[in-house]
Amino acid sequence: MDRNQITKWLKSPGKMAHKYSLHAVYFCTGCGIIEIPPVITARWDAERFGVIPVATPRQGNLFMITGYVSVKTLKAIIRTYEQMPDPKYTVAFGSCPINGGMYWDSYNTIKHLDKYIPVDGWIAGCMPRPEAVFVGVTHLWTLIDKEMANGYIRYKKKYAAYRSNQEMALGELDWPPLYPIEDETEEESK
Amino acid sequence: MSAQGILITAFAGAGLSYALGLTSARLREVFAIVVSVLLVCLIAITHGQGAEHVYYPDFLGLDLVLRMDALAWFFAITVSMVGCLSVIFSLHYVRGKEKENFYYFALLLVNAAMLGIVLSGDLLSFFIFWEIMSWAAFLLISYKRGRALDAGLKYVIMSILGSCAMLLALLYLYANYNTLVISDLAQQIRSAAGGFPLWVMLAFALGFGIKCALIPLHTWLPDAHSEAPSPFSAVLSGILIKMGIYGFILVMYGVVGLKLLLEVGAPWLHFHTVLCWLGAITILIPTFIALLQDDAKRLLAWSSIGQIGYIMLAIGVATSLGLAGALFHTLNHAVFKALLFLAVGAVEYKTGGVRDLNRLGGLIRRMPVTFACALIGGLGLIGVPLTSGFVSKWLIYKTLITEGHPFLALAALVGTWGAILYVYKLLHNMFLGQLPEKYANLEAAPFSMQLPLMICGFIIVLFGILPGIPLSVIGGIVGTLGFEPVTATLTGFGPQIGPLNTLNLCAAFAGVLLVIVAFRGIAARPKPVSQDDSYAAGAAAPAGKYHHTVRFYDPLERMTGGYLRDWVDQFYLSAAGKAKGVFNGVRRIYTGDVRTYVMYIVALLTFLIFAHTAGWL
Amino acid sequence: MTRIIQLVLSPLIALVVGVLLLGLSRKIIARIHRRYGPPIYQPVIDVIRMMSQRSISHGSLFDLGVVFALAGSLVTVMFIPLGGTQACQPFAHGVLCPLSSSGGLLVVMYLMLLGPLGLALGAGDSANPNASIGVSRKLLLALAYEVPFLLVILAVMSHYETISLTEIVARQQQAGWGALSVPLSAVAAFLILPAMLGVRPFDLVSAPQEIASGPMAEYGGRSLALIKLYGATHLFLVIALFVDLFLGGGVNLATFLLKMLIVFMAVEMINAVLPRVKIEDAIKFCWKWPAGLALLQMAITVLSKSG
Repeated sequence: MDRNQITKWLKSPGKMAHKYSLHAVYFCTGCGIIEIPPVITARWDAERFGVIPVATPRQGNLFMITGYVSVKTLKAIIRTYEQMPDPKYTVAFGSCPINGGMYWDSYNTIKHLDKYIPVDGWIAGCMPRPEAVFVGVTHLWTLIDKEMANGYIRYKKKYAAYRSNQEMALGELDWPPLYPIEDETEEESK
Repeated sequence: MSAQGILITAFAGAGLSYALGLTSARLREVFAIVVSVLLVCLIAITHGQGAEHVYYPDFLGLDLVLRMDALAWFFAITVSMVGCLSVIFSLHYVRGKEKENFYYFALLLVNAAMLGIVLSGDLLSFFIFWEIMSWAAFLLISYKRGRALDAGLKYVIMSILGSCAMLLALLYLYANYNTLVISDLAQQIRSAAGGFPLWVMLAFALGFGIKCALIPLHTWLPDAHSEAPSPFSAVLSGILIKMGIYGFILVMYGVVGLKLLLEVGAPWLHFHTVLCWLGAITILIPTFIALLQDDAKRLLAWSSIGQIGYIMLAIGVATSLGLAGALFHTLNHAVFKALLFLAVGAVEYKTGGVRDLNRLGGLIRRMPVTFACALIGGLGLIGVPLTSGFVSKWLIYKTLITEGHPFLALAALVGTWGAILYVYKLLHNMFLGQLPEKYANLEAAPFSMQLPLMICGFIIVLFGILPGIPLSVIGGIVGTLGFEPVTATLTGFGPQIGPLNTLNLCAAFAGVLLVIVAFRGIAARPKPVSQDDSYAAGAAAPAGKYHHTVRFYDPLERMTGGYLRDWVDQFYLSAAGKAKGVFNGVRRIYTGDVRTYVMYIVALLTFLIFAHTAGWL
Repeated sequence: MTRIIQLVLSPLIALVVGVLLLGLSRKIIARIHRRYGPPIYQPVIDVIRMMSQRSISHGSLFDLGVVFALAGSLVTVMFIPLGGTQACQPFAHGVLCPLSSSGGLLVVMYLMLLGPLGLALGAGDSANPNASIGVSRKLLLALAYEVPFLLVILAVMSHYETISLTEIVARQQQAGWGALSVPLSAVAAFLILPAMLGVRPFDLVSAPQEIASGPMAEYGGRSLALIKLYGATHLFLVIALFVDLFLGGGVNLATFLLKMLIVFMAVEMINAVLPRVKIEDAIKFCWKWPAGLALLQMAITVLSKSG
């Protein structure tokens, strides 16, 4: 650890700790998950970056969506995302969540995940290799450093918009809004 | 105030409450509470008095004696306390039910009779009060009718058996010493030798053992405790079964005396050793049976048997620490078991009679005070440090280990770890987890139900942090029963008995707690969420059904369930069934036809004449 | 004054050493897996990260249960001698054990209850069946390992004829380690160490893949940080107790920690290579081998004492 690091730690321990302790909730939607076991086991060892899988969204701060997102899964993704405590970072893995990928014309697949939940980082590829995950993680570190990985703040600010997008895709949602949507009309007027 | 005055107040109170109830229900309730509180006060002010006087000379040629000493006072204050709390609790519990007058009368009568038992100075009045208690308790157990009636019958039949055994012992004693006054008996029995004390004690042990549900005489208890009205379950488990304990202590140490007691039995198997091992079995088996119960009150009933095991074990060891532990545990068990039964009663009252552990849940959100008190009671039952149960159990373990009975200590300790399991099951299935939708608007129990719970909880914590308060009384009692008195400091024991200082423990705990809460304060306050917002792998948690209660300890149940049937009960039931068959057979000779009876008489006369002429008679 | 320093020092040592042991555990396992592994101070980072997250609460008991668990285990540490020799007087401050005169081994055994119980109550309040299943497993596992553990403790207490932990340590420092005087008990205790620590093969309580980490299913943020610290303290506690009972404590803190480290490494070797067992098998194992060995040792001890 150089001196630069130590001053950063002293200045904002929370932020630094978030960088080096990314506990990941892997949302195993599609084929992408096949790349995750090598990432977290002996071959590539994600633990040296502080990245380990956790069992429930309550414990994690990194949300990784690995693969295409069907409409049905989107519901679970939103629910899981909302159950994660703030601050939290979302990384979409593979090209499907970015633009639909090979399912670009499927009636049943969500094409742009960032319309429904905020996404902080993208790892493109079909499939991205495990090394790409590490590139993604180190890139996320830079984003956290520069306070650009602020999807959770965006979600709170623009919750009304996200919620309406979600309702457009899924119909009436059967859970109450996470944040109060009292300023919906205000935002529209702005 | 003498013992006589206390008893007159108690019995007159019972009678008068019935009479008053005929005029006004409100008046009767107020009167019942006044009498119970008055009794507590009356007994409290007699602390430290020792008196013995004849209140009915020459009854069937015997003097009936009342006496007040340290042991009697200790049990009397316990009885009156728990009795008083259960009367307060009853206010709402029985309001609007049928036969309220009768209920209050019987409840007060049971309490009065128990006071009579502990205050009587001779074994005849002891027996009389014992019978009053047994029969009044029968009336209350079968108060709800239906299944309760069966439970009551089971209880009363076993009680009668026990009473017969006691009566035999009484007659045996009377035939030998021509007196039944306890102090005289204690003087005279010292010279007794051989099998005499053994037979007397065996007969008494049968009577007391049935009342305090020592295995294998326990079978009435689970039915009776679960079917009785909850306030009376508290009395039943809290103090009524303790009358058996009182009887054991009285006969073993008050009458027979320590010196003789240690010699009773065969040289290789002493009476008190057998009692110890029975106690150990009584701890182990019921604890594991309690784990598997689904009925809250039945679970507590089995747990009562288990806790009685601790007391019997400690009495049987026959050391001053052991007896002190037994007496302290008697008090503790009375308090926390009363608390738990009353808490279950409060839940039962609010939910309309539900005490099936699989149908409740989440009630902490609706009844927080009840839960907090039940938690304290449960912790006391386990014996978590800083509750009074810890100190009494500590005394018991300590004496078992230093006296060189590690196997008995093992039984006691394993029983405790089993207790954790059933206490957690009880608390979890009733109060934690998801709140079923039908209870979403449940109101908290009325204050008259919460007050007894809070008093009990307060006592448990107070005596847990300052065990010296009860131990100063208990130490004196142990001294009067022929042991070295136990000297305790206000907060535990000095180094000569063993290191224990509960106040230090409490201070350390409080300090650490404060530090942690302060440390926790650095972080943001958590956001409260509803019970539906819980992790269900991304799906919405189904409301009101997302709860794990059924077969809570399923792996253990599968492993041990087969072994844990109540064999003793099955044996008794089959014996009762057989006896019924035999008696049915005997009944056939009463045909109801006069000619048959004439034939019997003629046959008998013929037989007599024949016998006479043959020279047999 | 020394008393107050000790009172602060011993929970602090437990926390620091416990957290580092957790980190070491991850490192050791990584090296056995031929991975590089996280830095040894990784759990510290994790705790800071959790503290900076805003968690959720299912009710006051949900939050308080965790606090009680941590407080209970920290208080327990104060009753455990952490190295140092006993001077001639019975309750000297030569031993790092600030509350030795307030309770002995029986108190320690009961205090060790507070942790699991607090966590169980908190988890029970979380209205999540995974948590309830986890708690049910935890309590059953506790029942499973407590039977041999109690046998072990009773054998040790009968052998040294005392219930004071400091005295047991002092006797060992005079007359040889407990592992030599009550060897079978020591073996039994070592066999149940993984169960007491909740590591493989007995990590069925917090099995993340089956029941979403069991009691911790709903915990996050600061509550999870406290659970992590509780886990660290509990780890310290169990191994310290083992060292005190069988390896003669320590002449000073350094030797004590060294002995702890060795025991810990041995446990981690088991942890790294074994898979998880079912709860039934855990109960069967605990009640068969460790309990049998401990029972044998207790019988030998009792007979030799009475003979």
